[in-house]
Amino acid sequence: MEPAHEFGEETDSAGDNGAAKVQDRLQKRNQARIDDVERRKEEKESQSVAEEKLEYFSSTFKREQMCIEDLLSGCSGADQGVVNQRLEEATIKIVQLQKFLNDSVLFLTQYELRQAQSALQKLQGSLAEIREKALPKKKFAFRARTKVADKVSEQETDSAPPYCTPPADLGEVVRGSSSKLFGFSNMDNQYLTKTSEEINKRDVLLSHLSNCKVRLYGSPSTLHLKHIDKCEILCGPVATSVFIDDCRNSTLSFPCQQLRTHSTTDTQVYLHVTSRAIIEDCHGVSFAPFSWSYPTLEEDFNVSGLNKDSNNWNQVDDFYWLAAGTPSPNWTTIPEADRKTNWDP
Amino acid sequence: MGLLTILKKMKQKEREMRLLMLGLDNAGKTTILKKFNGEDISTISPTLGFNIQTLEHRGFKLNMWDVGGQKSLRSYWRNYFESTDGLVWVVDSADRLRLQDCKQELSTLLLEERLAGATLLVFANKQDLPGALSKEAIREELALDDIKSHHWCIIDCSAVTGENLLSGVDWLLDDIAARIFTAD
Repeated sequence: MEPAHEFGEETDSAGDNGAAKVQDRLQKRNQARIDDVERRKEEKESQSVAEEKLEYFSSTFKREQMCIEDLLSGCSGADQGVVNQRLEEATIKIVQLQKFLNDSVLFLTQYELRQAQSALQKLQGSLAEIREKALPKKKFAFRARTKVADKVSEQETDSAPPYCTPPADLGEVVRGSSSKLFGFSNMDNQYLTKTSEEINKRDVLLSHLSNCKVRLYGSPSTLHLKHIDKCEILCGPVATSVFIDDCRNSTLSFPCQQLRTHSTTDTQVYLHVTSRAIIEDCHGVSFAPFSWSYPTLEEDFNVSGLNKDSNNWNQVDDFYWLAAGTPSPNWTTIPEADRKTNWDP
Repeated sequence: MGLLTILKKMKQKEREMRLLMLGLDNAGKTTILKKFNGEDISTISPTLGFNIQTLEHRGFKLNMWDVGGQKSLRSYWRNYFESTDGLVWVVDSADRLRLQDCKQELSTLLLEERLAGATLLVFANKQDLPGALSKEAIREELALDDIKSHHWCIIDCSAVTGENLLSGVDWLLDDIAARIFTAD
Protein backbone atom coordinates (compact mmCIF):
# COMPACT_ATOMS: atom_id res chain seq x y z
CA MET A 1 0.00 0.00 0.00
CA GLU A 2 2.82 2.19 0.93
CA PRO A 3 4.19 2.60 -2.47
CA ALA A 4 0.74 2.91 -3.73
CA HIS A 5 0.01 5.55 -1.15
CA GLU A 6 3.18 7.25 -1.91
CA PHE A 7 2.34 7.08 -5.48
CA GLY A 8 -1.08 8.36 -4.64
CA GLU A 9 0.40 11.20 -2.64
CA GLU A 10 2.80 11.85 -5.33
CA THR A 11 0.10 11.98 -7.89
CA ASP A 12 -1.96 14.09 -5.51
CA SER A 13 0.81 16.56 -4.97
CA ALA A 14 1.55 16.47 -8.66
CA GLY A 15 -2.16 17.09 -9.23
CA ASP A 16 -2.14 19.94 -6.73
CA ASN A 17 0.90 21.28 -8.32
CA GLY A 18 -0.65 20.98 -11.79
CA ALA A 19 -3.89 22.61 -10.71
CA ALA A 20 -2.01 25.49 -9.15
CA LYS A 21 0.01 25.89 -12.27
CA VAL A 22 -3.05 25.89 -14.46
CA GLN A 23 -4.74 28.41 -12.24
CA ASP A 24 -1.66 30.51 -12.23
CA ARG A 25 -1.42 30.34 -15.96
CA LEU A 26 -5.07 31.18 -16.34
CA GLN A 27 -4.73 34.13 -14.06
CA LYS A 28 -1.72 35.35 -15.94
CA ARG A 29 -3.52 35.00 -19.20
CA ASN A 30 -6.51 36.82 -17.79
CA GLN A 31 -4.28 39.59 -16.55
CA ALA A 32 -2.61 39.84 -19.93
CA ARG A 33 -5.99 40.05 -21.58
CA ILE A 34 -7.13 42.80 -19.24
CA ASP A 35 -3.89 44.64 -19.77
CA ASP A 36 -4.32 44.33 -23.44
CA VAL A 37 -7.83 45.69 -23.30
CA GLU A 38 -6.63 48.58 -21.13
CA ARG A 39 -3.78 49.27 -23.49
CA ARG A 40 -6.05 49.29 -26.48
CA LYS A 41 -8.48 51.53 -24.70
CA GLU A 42 -5.74 53.97 -23.89
CA GLU A 43 -4.44 53.83 -27.37
CA LYS A 44 -7.85 54.56 -28.74
CA GLU A 45 -8.36 57.43 -26.35
CA SER A 46 -5.03 58.94 -27.12
CA GLN A 47 -5.83 58.85 -30.80
CA SER A 48 -9.33 60.19 -30.75
CA VAL A 49 -9.71 63.91 -30.51
CA ALA A 50 -12.33 65.70 -28.51
CA GLU A 51 -13.76 67.21 -31.68
CA GLU A 52 -14.31 63.77 -33.06
CA LYS A 53 -16.60 62.62 -30.34
CA LEU A 54 -20.16 62.04 -31.21
CA GLU A 55 -21.42 64.03 -28.21
CA TYR A 56 -19.35 66.99 -29.24
CA PHE A 57 -20.74 66.83 -32.74
CA SER A 58 -24.35 66.50 -31.76
CA SER A 59 -24.21 69.22 -29.15
CA THR A 60 -22.44 71.65 -31.48
CA PHE A 61 -24.74 70.80 -34.33
CA LYS A 62 -27.82 71.25 -32.12
CA ARG A 63 -26.56 74.55 -30.82
CA GLU A 64 -25.88 75.94 -34.27
CA GLN A 65 -29.17 74.63 -35.54
CA MET A 66 -31.06 76.36 -32.73
CA CYS A 67 -29.13 79.51 -33.39
CA ILE A 68 -30.09 79.53 -37.06
CA GLU A 69 -33.68 78.71 -36.25
CA ASP A 70 -33.77 81.66 -33.86
CA LEU A 71 -32.36 83.90 -36.54
CA LEU A 72 -34.97 82.76 -39.02
CA SER A 73 -37.90 82.97 -36.65
CA GLY A 74 -36.83 86.49 -35.70
CA CYS A 75 -37.37 87.56 -39.28
CA SER A 76 -41.14 87.77 -39.20
CA GLY A 77 -42.34 91.24 -38.44
CA ALA A 78 -38.92 92.85 -38.43
CA ASP A 79 -38.17 95.60 -40.89
CA GLN A 80 -36.44 95.15 -44.22
CA GLY A 81 -32.92 96.03 -43.16
CA VAL A 82 -32.97 93.75 -40.12
CA VAL A 83 -34.44 90.89 -42.10
CA ASN A 84 -31.80 91.32 -44.74
CA GLN A 85 -29.05 91.21 -42.20
CA ARG A 86 -30.54 88.21 -40.43
CA LEU A 87 -30.96 86.28 -43.64
CA GLU A 88 -27.41 87.03 -44.61
CA GLU A 89 -26.20 85.83 -41.25
CA ALA A 90 -28.35 82.70 -41.43
CA THR A 91 -27.00 81.89 -44.88
CA ILE A 92 -23.42 82.15 -43.65
CA LYS A 93 -24.20 80.02 -40.62
CA ILE A 94 -25.84 77.34 -42.71
CA VAL A 95 -22.84 77.18 -44.96
CA GLN A 96 -20.56 76.88 -41.93
CA LEU A 97 -22.73 74.18 -40.49
CA GLN A 98 -22.64 72.27 -43.76
CA LYS A 99 -18.87 72.49 -43.66
CA PHE A 100 -18.78 71.29 -40.09
CA LEU A 101 -20.92 68.33 -41.08
CA ASN A 102 -18.68 67.58 -44.03
CA ASP A 103 -15.63 67.64 -41.79
CA SER A 104 -17.31 65.31 -39.35
CA VAL A 105 -18.47 62.72 -41.86
CA LEU A 106 -15.51 60.50 -41.02
CA PHE A 107 -16.64 59.53 -37.56
CA LEU A 108 -20.41 59.76 -37.90
CA THR A 109 -22.66 56.77 -38.38
CA GLN A 110 -24.97 56.62 -41.34
CA TYR A 111 -27.94 57.42 -39.19
CA GLU A 112 -26.46 60.55 -37.66
CA LEU A 113 -25.26 61.72 -41.04
CA ARG A 114 -28.75 61.38 -42.49
CA GLN A 115 -30.29 63.13 -39.53
CA ALA A 116 -27.90 66.02 -39.77
CA GLN A 117 -28.33 66.30 -43.50
CA SER A 118 -32.07 66.38 -43.31
CA ALA A 119 -31.90 68.97 -40.55
CA LEU A 120 -29.69 71.11 -42.75
CA GLN A 121 -32.01 70.67 -45.67
CA LYS A 122 -34.91 71.77 -43.56
CA LEU A 123 -33.01 74.85 -42.48
CA GLN A 124 -32.19 75.69 -46.04
CA GLY A 125 -35.80 75.18 -47.05
CA SER A 126 -37.12 77.50 -44.40
CA LEU A 127 -34.43 80.06 -45.21
CA ALA A 128 -35.54 80.07 -48.84
CA GLU A 129 -39.16 80.30 -47.79
CA ILE A 130 -38.56 83.23 -45.49
CA ARG A 131 -36.46 84.95 -48.07
CA GLU A 132 -39.25 84.54 -50.58
CA LYS A 133 -41.84 85.83 -48.14
CA ALA A 134 -39.84 88.65 -46.67
CA LEU A 135 -38.27 89.99 -49.81
CA PRO A 136 -40.56 89.21 -52.71
CA LYS A 137 -40.11 92.61 -54.24
CA LYS A 138 -36.41 92.34 -54.26
CA LYS A 139 -36.58 89.02 -56.04
CA PHE A 140 -38.72 90.26 -58.87
CA ALA A 141 -36.86 93.49 -59.16
CA PHE A 142 -33.66 91.55 -59.38
CA ARG A 143 -34.92 89.42 -62.25
CA ALA A 144 -36.34 92.32 -64.14
CA ARG A 145 -33.20 94.28 -63.65
CA THR A 146 -30.91 91.56 -64.96
CA LYS A 147 -33.08 91.25 -68.03
CA VAL A 148 -33.01 94.97 -68.55
CA ALA A 149 -29.29 94.99 -67.94
CA ASP A 150 -28.87 92.24 -70.50
CA LYS A 151 -30.97 94.11 -72.98
CA VAL A 152 -29.07 97.28 -72.31
CA SER A 153 -25.70 95.65 -72.79
CA GLU A 154 -27.07 94.01 -75.91
CA GLN A 155 -28.22 97.32 -77.21
CA GLU A 156 -25.00 98.88 -76.25
CA THR A 157 -22.97 96.37 -78.15
CA ASP A 158 -25.35 96.34 -81.06
CA SER A 159 -26.36 99.92 -81.42
CA ALA A 160 -23.87 102.04 -79.51
CA PRO A 161 -20.98 101.62 -81.93
CA PRO A 162 -22.80 103.30 -84.85
CA TYR A 163 -22.68 106.58 -82.99
CA CYS A 164 -18.95 106.63 -82.71
CA THR A 165 -17.73 104.22 -85.37
CA PRO A 166 -19.18 102.63 -88.50
CA PRO A 167 -21.67 99.77 -87.91
CA ALA A 168 -20.35 97.20 -85.49
CA ASP A 169 -20.09 94.35 -87.97
CA LEU A 170 -18.37 96.37 -90.60
CA GLY A 171 -16.05 98.11 -88.15
CA GLU A 172 -14.93 94.89 -86.57
CA VAL A 173 -14.49 93.07 -89.84
CA VAL A 174 -12.35 95.89 -91.08
CA ARG A 175 -10.32 95.99 -87.93
CA GLY A 176 -9.89 92.23 -87.81
CA SER A 177 -8.28 91.10 -90.98
CA SER A 178 -11.04 91.24 -93.54
CA SER A 179 -9.32 88.62 -95.64
CA LYS A 180 -10.15 85.99 -93.04
CA LEU A 181 -13.79 86.82 -92.43
CA PHE A 182 -15.94 87.69 -95.37
CA GLY A 183 -19.28 87.15 -97.06
CA PHE A 184 -22.18 89.34 -98.07
CA SER A 185 -23.76 92.23 -96.24
CA ASN A 186 -26.32 94.96 -96.78
CA MET A 187 -28.04 93.43 -99.80
CA ASP A 188 -31.65 93.29 -100.90
CA ASN A 189 -33.36 91.15 -103.53
CA GLN A 190 -30.26 89.41 -104.86
CA TYR A 191 -29.18 85.93 -105.88
CA LEU A 192 -25.74 85.39 -104.35
CA THR A 193 -23.29 82.49 -104.64
CA LYS A 194 -19.79 81.61 -103.47
CA THR A 195 -17.61 78.74 -104.65
CA SER A 196 -15.52 76.35 -102.59
CA GLU A 197 -12.30 78.13 -103.63
CA GLU A 198 -13.66 81.25 -102.01
CA ILE A 199 -14.97 79.88 -98.76
CA ASN A 200 -13.22 76.61 -97.87
CA LYS A 201 -11.78 76.70 -94.34
CA ARG A 202 -12.73 80.33 -93.85
CA ASP A 203 -15.14 82.16 -91.58
CA VAL A 204 -18.13 83.37 -93.54
CA LEU A 205 -20.39 86.20 -92.41
CA LEU A 206 -23.73 87.07 -93.95
CA SER A 207 -25.35 90.14 -92.44
CA HIS A 208 -28.17 92.58 -93.12
CA LEU A 209 -29.66 90.62 -96.01
CA SER A 210 -33.30 90.69 -97.01
CA ASN A 211 -35.22 88.90 -99.74
CA CYS A 212 -32.02 87.22 -100.93
CA LYS A 213 -31.25 83.72 -102.14
CA VAL A 214 -27.77 82.60 -101.13
CA ARG A 215 -25.92 79.45 -102.21
CA LEU A 216 -22.55 78.73 -100.64
CA TYR A 217 -20.92 75.77 -102.40
CA GLY A 218 -18.04 74.69 -100.20
CA SER A 219 -16.98 73.98 -96.63
CA PRO A 220 -16.41 77.07 -94.49
CA SER A 221 -14.84 76.86 -91.04
CA THR A 222 -17.68 78.77 -89.37
CA LEU A 223 -20.79 80.49 -90.66
CA HIS A 224 -22.31 83.59 -89.06
CA LEU A 225 -25.77 84.79 -90.05
CA LYS A 226 -26.82 88.14 -88.60
CA HIS A 227 -29.88 90.30 -89.22
CA ILE A 228 -31.42 88.18 -91.95
CA ASP A 229 -34.98 88.71 -93.20
CA LYS A 230 -36.98 86.66 -95.74
CA CYS A 231 -33.94 84.92 -97.19
CA GLU A 232 -33.19 81.42 -98.39
CA ILE A 233 -29.64 80.48 -97.42
CA LEU A 234 -28.05 77.14 -98.31
CA CYS A 235 -24.52 76.23 -97.40
CA GLY A 236 -22.18 73.25 -97.71
CA PRO A 237 -20.80 71.41 -94.66
CA VAL A 238 -19.56 73.82 -91.96
CA ALA A 239 -16.58 72.32 -90.12
CA THR A 240 -17.40 73.79 -86.67
CA SER A 241 -20.25 76.05 -85.56
CA VAL A 242 -23.00 77.98 -87.25
CA PHE A 243 -24.19 81.11 -85.44
CA ILE A 244 -27.57 82.57 -86.24
CA ASP A 245 -28.51 85.89 -84.71
CA ASP A 246 -31.66 87.89 -85.37
CA CYS A 247 -33.04 86.01 -88.32
CA ARG A 248 -36.68 86.18 -89.46
CA ASN A 249 -39.03 84.49 -91.95
CA SER A 250 -36.21 82.63 -93.62
CA THR A 251 -35.28 79.16 -94.80
CA LEU A 252 -31.81 77.87 -94.01
CA SER A 253 -30.03 74.64 -94.80
CA PHE A 254 -26.56 73.36 -93.95
CA PRO A 255 -24.63 70.55 -92.28
CA CYS A 256 -22.51 71.62 -89.30
CA GLN A 257 -20.98 70.39 -86.06
CA GLN A 258 -22.90 72.71 -83.72
CA LEU A 259 -25.72 75.14 -84.32
CA ARG A 260 -26.26 78.12 -82.03
CA THR A 261 -29.42 80.08 -82.76
CA HIS A 262 -30.21 83.37 -81.04
CA SER A 263 -33.15 85.81 -81.21
CA THR A 264 -34.63 84.16 -84.26
CA THR A 265 -38.31 83.89 -85.23
CA ASP A 266 -40.35 82.01 -87.82
CA THR A 267 -37.45 80.33 -89.55
CA GLN A 268 -37.11 76.86 -91.02
CA VAL A 269 -33.82 75.06 -90.69
CA TYR A 270 -33.01 71.98 -92.80
CA LEU A 271 -30.20 70.73 -90.69
CA HIS A 272 -27.47 68.14 -90.42
CA VAL A 273 -25.79 68.53 -87.05
CA THR A 274 -23.30 66.03 -85.65
CA SER A 275 -23.28 67.42 -82.10
CA ARG A 276 -26.25 69.50 -80.96
CA ALA A 277 -28.37 72.41 -82.00
CA ILE A 278 -29.41 75.00 -79.45
CA ILE A 279 -31.86 77.87 -79.55
CA GLU A 280 -31.89 80.85 -77.22
CA ASP A 281 -34.55 83.55 -77.19
CA CYS A 282 -36.28 82.12 -80.28
CA HIS A 283 -39.88 81.40 -81.34
CA GLY A 284 -41.37 79.56 -84.25
CA VAL A 285 -38.19 77.87 -85.31
CA SER A 286 -38.79 74.57 -87.11
CA PHE A 287 -36.37 71.85 -88.04
CA ALA A 288 -36.12 69.14 -90.69
CA PRO A 289 -33.24 66.99 -91.88
CA PHE A 290 -30.78 68.46 -94.39
CA SER A 291 -31.89 67.65 -97.91
CA TRP A 292 -30.14 70.08 -100.25
CA SER A 293 -27.62 68.56 -102.59
CA TYR A 294 -25.09 69.78 -105.16
CA PRO A 295 -22.46 68.01 -107.24
CA THR A 296 -19.46 68.42 -104.91
CA LEU A 297 -21.32 67.95 -101.62
CA GLU A 298 -19.63 64.63 -100.84
CA GLU A 299 -16.21 66.18 -101.37
CA ASP A 300 -17.05 69.11 -99.12
CA PHE A 301 -18.20 66.72 -96.43
CA ASN A 302 -14.73 65.20 -96.52
CA VAL A 303 -13.11 68.64 -96.30
CA SER A 304 -15.21 69.53 -93.26
CA GLY A 305 -14.49 66.27 -91.48
CA LEU A 306 -18.14 65.94 -90.45
CA ASN A 307 -19.67 62.52 -90.02
CA LYS A 308 -22.28 62.14 -92.70
CA ASP A 309 -24.06 59.35 -90.85
CA SER A 310 -24.72 61.08 -87.55
CA ASN A 311 -27.47 63.67 -87.68
CA ASN A 312 -29.12 65.01 -84.51
CA TRP A 313 -31.33 67.51 -86.31
CA ASN A 314 -34.29 66.88 -84.02
CA GLN A 315 -32.44 67.10 -80.70
CA VAL A 316 -32.60 70.78 -79.94
CA ASP A 317 -31.77 72.34 -76.56
CA ASP A 318 -33.73 75.47 -75.75
CA PHE A 319 -31.83 77.63 -73.26
CA TYR A 320 -35.02 79.57 -72.59
CA TRP A 321 -36.95 76.44 -71.70
CA LEU A 322 -35.31 74.61 -68.87
CA ALA A 323 -38.34 72.61 -67.67
CA ALA A 324 -37.51 68.95 -67.99
CA GLY A 325 -40.22 66.70 -69.29
CA THR A 326 -42.28 69.31 -71.12
CA PRO A 327 -41.10 70.02 -74.65
CA SER A 328 -40.16 73.57 -75.51
CA PRO A 329 -42.92 75.54 -77.28
CA ASN A 330 -40.32 77.55 -79.16
CA TRP A 331 -39.38 74.98 -81.76
CA THR A 332 -41.03 72.17 -83.74
CA THR A 333 -40.13 69.64 -86.37
CA ILE A 334 -41.55 70.15 -89.84
CA PRO A 335 -44.01 67.35 -90.72
CA GLU A 336 -42.69 65.20 -93.53
CA ALA A 337 -45.46 66.20 -95.91
CA ASP A 338 -44.58 69.88 -95.56
CA ARG A 339 -40.85 69.58 -96.08
CA LYS A 340 -39.28 71.36 -98.96
CA THR A 341 -37.73 69.04 -101.54
CA ASN A 342 -37.05 71.29 -104.48
CA TRP A 343 -34.16 73.64 -103.84
CA ASP A 344 -33.86 75.11 -107.34
CA PRO A 345 -33.44 78.84 -107.07
CA MET B 1 -8.99 54.39 -36.01
CA GLY B 2 -8.34 52.07 -38.91
CA LEU B 3 -5.99 52.42 -41.79
CA LEU B 4 -8.81 53.51 -44.07
CA THR B 5 -9.75 56.43 -41.84
CA ILE B 6 -6.14 57.53 -41.64
CA LEU B 7 -5.92 57.42 -45.40
CA LYS B 8 -9.14 59.35 -45.71
CA LYS B 9 -7.89 61.99 -43.32
CA MET B 10 -4.68 62.39 -45.23
CA LYS B 11 -6.61 62.79 -48.43
CA GLN B 12 -8.72 65.54 -46.95
CA LYS B 13 -5.70 67.53 -46.06
CA GLU B 14 -4.39 67.25 -49.57
CA ARG B 15 -3.96 70.46 -51.44
CA GLU B 16 -7.14 71.38 -53.14
CA MET B 17 -7.91 74.15 -55.60
CA ARG B 18 -11.09 75.36 -57.15
CA LEU B 19 -10.87 76.56 -60.73
CA LEU B 20 -13.73 78.27 -62.51
CA MET B 21 -13.81 78.20 -66.29
CA LEU B 22 -15.85 80.90 -68.02
CA GLY B 23 -16.08 82.55 -71.41
CA LEU B 24 -18.55 83.26 -74.20
CA ASP B 25 -20.48 80.38 -75.71
CA ASN B 26 -18.54 78.35 -78.27
CA ALA B 27 -15.20 79.41 -76.75
CA GLY B 28 -14.27 75.78 -76.09
CA LYS B 29 -14.55 75.52 -72.31
CA THR B 30 -16.00 72.04 -72.22
CA THR B 31 -13.57 70.87 -74.88
CA ILE B 32 -10.62 72.12 -72.82
CA LEU B 33 -11.95 70.39 -69.73
CA LYS B 34 -12.54 67.10 -71.50
CA LYS B 35 -9.27 67.20 -73.37
CA PHE B 36 -7.41 67.91 -70.16
CA ASN B 37 -9.13 64.96 -68.60
CA GLY B 38 -8.41 62.74 -71.58
CA GLU B 39 -12.02 62.24 -72.62
CA ASP B 40 -13.58 62.08 -76.06
CA ILE B 41 -14.16 65.55 -77.48
CA SER B 42 -15.96 64.76 -80.72
CA THR B 43 -19.48 64.69 -79.33
CA ILE B 44 -19.50 67.79 -77.14
CA SER B 45 -22.66 69.83 -77.33
CA PRO B 46 -23.34 73.34 -76.02
CA THR B 47 -23.35 73.20 -72.24
CA LEU B 48 -26.78 73.54 -70.70
CA GLY B 49 -25.86 74.14 -67.09
CA PHE B 50 -22.39 73.17 -65.95
CA ASN B 51 -19.81 70.37 -65.75
CA ILE B 52 -17.57 69.58 -62.81
CA GLN B 53 -14.43 67.50 -62.97
CA THR B 54 -12.16 66.66 -60.13
CA LEU B 55 -8.71 65.69 -61.21
CA GLU B 56 -5.28 65.20 -59.75
CA HIS B 57 -2.43 67.10 -61.28
CA ARG B 58 1.04 67.51 -59.81
CA GLY B 59 -0.19 66.47 -56.38
CA PHE B 60 -2.95 69.04 -56.38
CA LYS B 61 -6.58 68.15 -56.38
CA LEU B 62 -8.28 70.37 -58.93
CA ASN B 63 -12.00 70.99 -58.83
CA MET B 64 -12.71 72.39 -62.25
CA TRP B 65 -16.06 74.02 -62.89
CA ASP B 66 -17.12 74.59 -66.45
CA VAL B 67 -20.23 76.76 -66.70
CA GLY B 68 -22.20 77.28 -69.92
CA GLY B 69 -21.51 80.55 -71.72
CA GLN B 70 -24.80 81.18 -73.52
CA LYS B 71 -26.19 84.63 -72.94
CA SER B 72 -29.10 83.24 -70.92
CA LEU B 73 -26.69 81.45 -68.59
CA ARG B 74 -24.28 84.31 -67.94
CA SER B 75 -26.43 85.79 -65.21
CA TYR B 76 -25.95 82.51 -63.32
CA TRP B 77 -22.15 82.74 -63.39
CA ARG B 78 -22.30 84.65 -60.12
CA ASN B 79 -23.52 81.50 -58.37
CA TYR B 80 -20.15 79.89 -58.94
CA PHE B 81 -17.85 82.69 -57.77
CA GLU B 82 -17.57 81.68 -54.12
CA SER B 83 -14.12 80.49 -53.01
CA THR B 84 -12.64 80.38 -56.48
CA ASP B 85 -8.85 80.16 -56.50
CA GLY B 86 -8.32 80.47 -60.21
CA LEU B 87 -10.39 81.87 -63.04
CA VAL B 88 -9.84 80.48 -66.51
CA TRP B 89 -11.21 82.80 -69.18
CA VAL B 90 -11.51 81.03 -72.51
CA VAL B 91 -11.52 83.03 -75.74
CA ASP B 92 -12.40 81.78 -79.21
CA SER B 93 -9.48 83.37 -81.05
CA ALA B 94 -11.25 83.00 -84.39
CA ASP B 95 -14.41 84.76 -83.29
CA ARG B 96 -13.52 88.33 -84.23
CA LEU B 97 -17.13 89.41 -84.30
CA ARG B 98 -17.62 88.98 -80.60
CA LEU B 99 -14.28 90.06 -79.19
CA GLN B 100 -15.88 93.24 -77.88
CA ASP B 101 -18.58 91.17 -76.16
CA CYS B 102 -15.83 89.05 -74.74
CA LYS B 103 -13.92 92.04 -73.43
CA GLN B 104 -17.08 93.46 -71.88
CA GLU B 105 -17.96 90.24 -70.07
CA LEU B 106 -14.44 89.79 -68.76
CA SER B 107 -14.16 93.28 -67.38
CA THR B 108 -17.52 92.93 -65.61
CA LEU B 109 -16.29 89.70 -64.13
CA LEU B 110 -13.09 91.23 -62.80
CA LEU B 111 -15.05 93.84 -60.88
CA GLU B 112 -16.71 91.05 -58.94
CA GLU B 113 -15.78 91.20 -55.29
CA ARG B 114 -15.92 87.45 -54.74
CA LEU B 115 -13.33 86.89 -57.46
CA ALA B 116 -11.00 89.51 -56.04
CA GLY B 117 -8.26 87.13 -54.94
CA ALA B 118 -8.42 84.78 -57.90
CA THR B 119 -5.64 84.33 -60.42
CA LEU B 120 -6.68 84.89 -64.03
CA LEU B 121 -5.57 82.66 -66.88
CA VAL B 122 -6.71 83.65 -70.36
CA PHE B 123 -6.71 80.85 -72.90
CA ALA B 124 -6.53 82.14 -76.48
CA ASN B 125 -8.14 78.96 -77.76
CA LYS B 126 -8.64 77.53 -81.26
CA GLN B 127 -5.14 78.35 -82.45
CA ASP B 128 -5.47 75.38 -84.79
CA LEU B 129 -7.97 77.31 -86.92
CA PRO B 130 -6.52 79.22 -89.87
CA GLY B 131 -8.42 82.40 -88.98
CA ALA B 132 -7.29 82.54 -85.35
CA LEU B 133 -5.89 85.78 -83.93
CA SER B 134 -2.53 85.58 -82.18
CA LYS B 135 -2.34 85.85 -78.42
CA GLU B 136 -0.73 89.27 -78.76
CA ALA B 137 -3.71 90.50 -80.77
CA ILE B 138 -6.12 89.12 -78.19
CA ARG B 139 -4.14 90.62 -75.37
CA GLU B 140 -4.48 93.98 -77.05
CA GLU B 141 -8.17 93.56 -77.98
CA LEU B 142 -9.12 92.56 -74.45
CA ALA B 143 -6.88 95.28 -72.98
CA LEU B 144 -5.34 92.77 -70.61
CA ASP B 145 -2.48 95.12 -69.81
CA ASP B 146 -4.95 97.36 -68.03
CA ILE B 147 -5.75 94.66 -65.49
CA LYS B 148 -4.12 95.62 -62.23
CA SER B 149 -6.44 93.84 -59.84
CA HIS B 150 -5.46 90.25 -60.59
CA HIS B 151 -2.41 88.21 -61.44
CA TRP B 152 -2.98 87.27 -65.06
CA CYS B 153 -1.37 85.47 -67.96
CA ILE B 154 -2.45 84.76 -71.54
CA ILE B 155 -1.59 81.47 -73.19
CA ASP B 156 -2.37 80.50 -76.78
CA CYS B 157 -3.71 77.00 -77.01
CA SER B 158 -5.81 74.57 -78.95
CA ALA B 159 -8.25 72.38 -77.10
CA VAL B 160 -8.60 70.13 -80.15
CA THR B 161 -4.89 69.32 -80.40
CA GLY B 162 -4.24 69.81 -76.69
CA GLU B 163 -1.37 72.18 -77.42
CA ASN B 164 -0.31 74.38 -74.48
CA LEU B 165 -3.19 73.31 -72.24
CA LEU B 166 -0.76 71.86 -69.74
CA SER B 167 1.56 74.82 -69.66
CA GLY B 168 -1.39 77.10 -69.04
CA VAL B 169 -2.72 75.07 -66.16
CA ASP B 170 0.80 74.69 -64.76
CA TRP B 171 1.25 78.45 -64.68
CA LEU B 172 -2.09 78.79 -62.94
CA LEU B 173 -1.20 76.18 -60.34
CA ASP B 174 2.17 77.77 -59.64
CA ASP B 175 0.63 81.17 -59.14
CA ILE B 176 -2.14 79.93 -56.89
CA ALA B 177 0.19 77.68 -54.92
CA ALA B 178 2.59 80.53 -54.28
CA ARG B 179 -0.30 82.51 -52.90
CA ILE B 180 -2.26 80.06 -50.77
CA PHE B 181 0.14 77.35 -49.72
CA THR B 182 2.98 79.49 -48.44
CA ALA B 183 2.05 78.53 -44.89
CA ASP B 184 3.24 74.95 -45.38
